[in-house]
Amino acid sequence: MIERRLLPHLDWLLVGALLALTALGLATIYSVFRANPGTQFWTQAYAVGLGVVALVVCLFVDYRALAERSLFLYGGLLLTLLYVAFFGVVHQGARRWLPSIGGFSLQPSEFARIALALVLAMYFGESRRSARSTGELLVAAAFLAGLFVLIIRQPDLGTAITLVPVFLGIVFLAGLPMRWLGVALVALVLSSPIIFWYGLRDYQRQRIVTAIDPWQDPLHTGYQQIQAKVTVGSGGLFGKGFESSTQGTYQFLPAAHNDFVFSVFAEEHGFVGVLGALGLYLFVIVRSFEAAKLAKDRVGAFLVTGIVSGFGFQVLYNITMSAGLAPVKGITLPLMSYGGSSLVATLVGFGLILNVRMRRFTN
Amino acid sequence: MTTPGAYENRRLLHTRLNVLRVGATIGVGILVVVFWVLQIVEHARYYDIAENQHVRTIALRAPRGVLFDREGRVLVENQYSFTISVVRELSPNPDHNVDETLHRLALVTGIDEARARDEVKRHKREALFRPIPLISHATMAQVSAVLARKLEMQEVVVQQEPARVYPLGGLGAHLFGYVGEIQDAEIDRPDFAGLPAGSVVGQSGVERTYNGLLMGQDGRREVAVNSAGREISEMGEEDPVDGNRLQLTIDYDLQRAVDDAFKSKNFAGGAMLMDPNTGDVLAMTSQPEFDPNDFATGVDRSKWLALLNDPMRPLQDRLLQGRFSPGSTFKIVMALAALDAGIITPDFKVTCNGSIDLYNHIYHCDRKEGHGTLDLRHALEQSCDVYFYQLASMIKIDTIRDYAEKMGLVGKTGIDLPNEVENIIPSTEWKLRAKGEKWYAGETISVGIGQGPVEVTPVSLAVMISEVATGGNRITPHVVKAVDDGQGWVPTTVTPPKMIFPIRPDVLEPVRDGLWMAVNAEGTGVAARVAGHDVMGKTGTAQVISIQGAKIAAKAGMNVHDNSWFVFYAPREHPEIAGVVFAEHADWGATGAAPIARFALETYFAKKEGRPRPALSVTADGAMVVR
Repeated sequence: MIERRLLPHLDWLLVGALLALTALGLATIYSVFRANPGTQFWTQAYAVGLGVVALVVCLFVDYRALAERSLFLYGGLLLTLLYVAFFGVVHQGARRWLPSIGGFSLQPSEFARIALALVLAMYFGESRRSARSTGELLVAAAFLAGLFVLIIRQPDLGTAITLVPVFLGIVFLAGLPMRWLGVALVALVLSSPIIFWYGLRDYQRQRIVTAIDPWQDPLHTGYQQIQAKVTVGSGGLFGKGFESSTQGTYQFLPAAHNDFVFSVFAEEHGFVGVLGALGLYLFVIVRSFEAAKLAKDRVGAFLVTGIVSGFGFQVLYNITMSAGLAPVKGITLPLMSYGGSSLVATLVGFGLILNVRMRRFTN
Repeated sequence: MTTPGAYENRRLLHTRLNVLRVGATIGVGILVVVFWVLQIVEHARYYDIAENQHVRTIALRAPRGVLFDREGRVLVENQYSFTISVVRELSPNPDHNVDETLHRLALVTGIDEARARDEVKRHKREALFRPIPLISHATMAQVSAVLARKLEMQEVVVQQEPARVYPLGGLGAHLFGYVGEIQDAEIDRPDFAGLPAGSVVGQSGVERTYNGLLMGQDGRREVAVNSAGREISEMGEEDPVDGNRLQLTIDYDLQRAVDDAFKSKNFAGGAMLMDPNTGDVLAMTSQPEFDPNDFATGVDRSKWLALLNDPMRPLQDRLLQGRFSPGSTFKIVMALAALDAGIITPDFKVTCNGSIDLYNHIYHCDRKEGHGTLDLRHALEQSCDVYFYQLASMIKIDTIRDYAEKMGLVGKTGIDLPNEVENIIPSTEWKLRAKGEKWYAGETISVGIGQGPVEVTPVSLAVMISEVATGGNRITPHVVKAVDDGQGWVPTTVTPPKMIFPIRPDVLEPVRDGLWMAVNAEGTGVAARVAGHDVMGKTGTAQVISIQGAKIAAKAGMNVHDNSWFVFYAPREHPEIAGVVFAEHADWGATGAAPIARFALETYFAKKEGRPRPALSVTADGAMVVR
């Protein structure tokens, strides 16, 4: 049971910012589909309700209790992903979903960030462990790899990649020596041409090339980037107004309701709206880091950092992409993009962050 | 709970959390700059791209102005032309197969099923919602057949657009002209400035001269389209503005009469009636004609080439685009010149023995046995060539030219129709300019009977005879009387009649006597006599080529008959109507052109006096009978 004395410590400002961003996403999805209304708006609204319930449920349970069972949770998710790998529902060439229950098909990979954050927070939470030792780092990396491999094979490179910042955020906080970080960065820079030429498929290479210069191939690979820029740029200072998107509604910009929801938001609400939304996202991130600072134990701090690192990476990457400046990758914008599993998982994550902050004074 | 090193751990934690926080803030700050550049700095460029790709403008064609005759009868109008198309998207079949429907459509409309199928195949790759036109300019029968079976053929749609219609067919084709899509070569013409490609414009006749008034203003419908080009919603509509209505000076009854008379004789040529006091053209026809409807519905190439290459040149408006030797009609100018310049008096007599020797050359008269001794009046009446050879030998070519100019034969008449050609009236200066030689007096002799280097348009001869009718008043022929831009009829501004050459009665009356006698006494124009009316007229017969040339050409099967003229006005006092008839290769003016004039005049007077209009019949030997 949630104790009444904890309620005053709930971060209502963070809750408000989360709900505000969710509402902006919902409104933009509504606007995109105003010309030919389908089920998307109501599906998303339903997911919002579900997510809020999940968030509240997450407040009830002490995060330490969850962390102690994190290995079971991690193992459970691993098994679910294995199940998906064999029996999952195929949609647009990718096997990502559990068979639908009541019209709602769950995408387990969206919960991988939380499971990873929980298991890594628990692993490094014990004060004697730190990310200074190679052995412990390797164990942590193995936790990452298990989920990563299963997800990338679906295939879903976008979601798999969002696990990396969760891992990096926690090991960084756990004391990863800076020179290792430096070495890793240098190694990445040096190996990037090799990865580019040998590690990527043709279409992936092309995406990177067109991200730099979309006009090389304006009708195919560059199309989405160009249309994203047109969508954002045509919004101007104050935007075209709610329900006035032409780029999204008339389908010039593909995936306007999920991957590119922020482009349409920028089109309708202009630079002013963009400042507001970016402000809210920055507030959510900064407020979450504050929760990490306030956490009464290492487990709480690591858990929050892991979740918010993944969140922050998704936000920055997706918005960069929605301005047409990053390769198009299936990385959704948390809270605003269409997608039930993503929304529920994100709200569950913030349920845990709120949980950590709320319980900062308890023993 | 406090263990050694916990404090350091906590410090490290805070430092690294701060690093992450600052990193996130910098990231968001960079995004702000990115969006500022896109949305503020480059906004205009992206806004234009966005607008252009989602707004489609559909032209709503404005109907061209209707043409009326002087009594308000419709001459040229518009009809909504129907296009029957198939829209595959509307097909109830899941694979959008329309073969079954094409089969039914072919059955009810009589189109070729295989061709329709090919047409659909040709557009296979286009978007499904796009109509594929199968029958353009569909008949009412086809349209109603399709509409009646709408349920069986859901994917067949009928669209409509205004198209020009000429209900009179070829009647007045050269006068009205025709319309067609603007040609690439025309797009730079100043009167077509600013018109979009695909505009339908006047290509000849009134349609062309008054194109600016007739065209109206196309409207447009703006619709929002999605990335596949499908219409999503209506954004705005601007109704088309109909073109101005024009009232022509034409009298449909006279137009019909002139046309019928001409056709009954099966001549090529042209005829024109007008009011000599105002220049109002009452009727004008050029033969052979063409059907302007063929152009309105998009002329097909073979038909167009056939018209262009037809040796009879049906597209040429002979009245103003053809230039011919005036023959004896030019004797009117000769007579006026000789009298007014004081070279002769009306009583000046010449004896005609059938030929005359001038400058060591024998000139023959039309009548081999000769006319005997004639004065000016009788020379005009009987069109004696020898008399006018004699006159020509007494007048300088430049004097003849001066009087031709005074009578409206130099330059163009200025009629409000396109592509009028300029007359050729020789003078010493002209010969020097055109041939680089001086004029020889002997050359003036054939000019005296309207041969030699004299070439005029029929319309200019109508102006000339009008001037005789009014005693020197110059009119500018015109075919449009009034314009209605929707606010009511407003008379058009025409060049007002101008007294160019006030002809003295002692000059004018003898000539008029001759013209009266030509028709009403024993002259060459008796075929144009109308009982009870003083018809004035002069025939002309113009050699097309020299006698020797004619023999050669005749062997080659070419038509070398002489051209036949008749210029006329009526009545003598207070003239109301004047005109010209020109019949190619019809030989004698007396038998070729004059009967056509007579029928036109009979019709004019019958209509004016409220009598039943005359009927026309042609006897077995080709003679025209007016009943």
